[in-house]
Amino acid sequence: MATEEGRKAEPEVVFSVTEEEINRWMSRAFEMARDALDNGEVPVGCLMVHRDQVVGKGRNQVNETKNATRHAEMVALDQVLDWCYQKNLDMRSVCRQTVLYVTVEPCIMCAAALRLVNIPLVAYGCRNERFGGCGSVLDISTANLPNSGTAFRCVSGHRAQEAVEMLKTFYKQENPNAPKPKTRTD
Amino acid sequence: MEPQVKRLKGSDCGGSDSWVAEPVLSDEQSADVELVAVYAAPVLDRKQTSRLVRQLNAVFPLDGLQHLKRVRTARDQNSPHPLEVLLCRSGEAADAAELGSLLPSDGNSWEGLGRPFVVLVPARPPLTRPQYQQASSFWPTSFHEDKRVTEALRGALFSPQQRVAMTSFMVAAVTAARAAAQLGMEAVGAAVVDPETERVVAVGHDLRGEHPLLHAVMVCIDLVARSQGGGWYRNQNRYPACSFAPAGPQGGAEPYICTGYDLYVTREPCAMCAMALVHSRIGRVFYGTGSAHGALGSRMKIHVHKDLNHRFQVYSGVLRGECQALQGDA
Repeated sequence: MATEEGRKAEPEVVFSVTEEEINRWMSRAFEMARDALDNGEVPVGCLMVHRDQVVGKGRNQVNETKNATRHAEMVALDQVLDWCYQKNLDMRSVCRQTVLYVTVEPCIMCAAALRLVNIPLVAYGCRNERFGGCGSVLDISTANLPNSGTAFRCVSGHRAQEAVEMLKTFYKQENPNAPKPKTRTD
Repeated sequence: MEPQVKRLKGSDCGGSDSWVAEPVLSDEQSADVELVAVYAAPVLDRKQTSRLVRQLNAVFPLDGLQHLKRVRTARDQNSPHPLEVLLCRSGEAADAAELGSLLPSDGNSWEGLGRPFVVLVPARPPLTRPQYQQASSFWPTSFHEDKRVTEALRGALFSPQQRVAMTSFMVAAVTAARAAAQLGMEAVGAAVVDPETERVVAVGHDLRGEHPLLHAVMVCIDLVARSQGGGWYRNQNRYPACSFAPAGPQGGAEPYICTGYDLYVTREPCAMCAMALVHSRIGRVFYGTGSAHGALGSRMKIHVHKDLNHRFQVYSGVLRGECQALQGDA
């Protein structure tokens, strides 16, 4: 508890991103999302950018790994951790100065994860009406939660329509990994 | 020789009389009954009751209050008029409690009704038996009982045999938590079980020393993936208390993520882990002890969130003492 309070008292670095940065990094995030769609995964892609350098990138890998938590953000966070390990840097200090660019609003799980590692700013494309954790279903991003890392700010709407269209394309297809619905015999 | 009577008394289930698995219900299920004011009136002439009810149903269909019985027997046993009938919400008419101003006089005869009075009635259908009992004390209410919830609230949902098995699954989680504490990780452990076969699919513990997001639940979800030929992390290999049992060739359907599985975890999961369990389509969750930032009852109730497309049952308090002791060690 005491450390939590202490952390809040630190002067916060106010992060902001320019239109140019959003354009540049989001177009790469969209490439990742496209790659997910081509591989039968929910089309979400993301980039973790630290001081103008990509330190993690990811796209949804749920079907490939049979692990429903392998969202783009979780994949990218693993890469950030590896990057920090190789550079012998502290992950939290790196994350405090890292921006996430992601095509779709992070879900509740990912939003909670981003808080836990202290990511300060997220730029996303479209809202996530099914699972969104930055206001759409729950507001994990800014909620006052004990022992749950730090709140983060969102900048939303970049190429939102395109991100939605990709999701629609995916959900129109049948999920080949879902079990066939059982026909009731009783 | 063993004192047999004592044994029987003390060890009926799961090793102790105090075995608990409290259902973690939604706020709507746990709340006190909410009341709303309506007009009712005594039925002066009993023989007119069915006609009056028919007319009232046509004029005031009790929109949103269909769970209420239209007629009740008067509370006061000495009342000259033993029946009372619901008229309408008090908000729908002016405060005037004269029949003439409440009821339309277009051809209907309201003969047989007495002077209206305001009464508080349950605003919503009761969802649990305690709510039903509370609601019925205000006005007779119909109740579509969820037998599972009733049994769970009574503490009678699980048989002594099931309790023994469930205790052993939580013991596996506690053992894993102790291993985590030995390694300097957070003392949280978890086990995933197929309740159909009582097979332990995966056991894992906190690995936050490796990775800040490898909470025990996240570790277990990945171990389940590995049991199905998938998985992502390999760092669990270095930890003997983290294990999985490969899904054997079974006659039934292929396992699909955590569908139909139960999770036993020593401490209430956080928001990340709770939502990971939604994504993984877990069947039920049993946790030992609550957590201030817990998302399955304490701080949030992600398992019953209306906007999420998968919901699951949650029970708390299984081996609470042992699980609380783990937190004390930390």
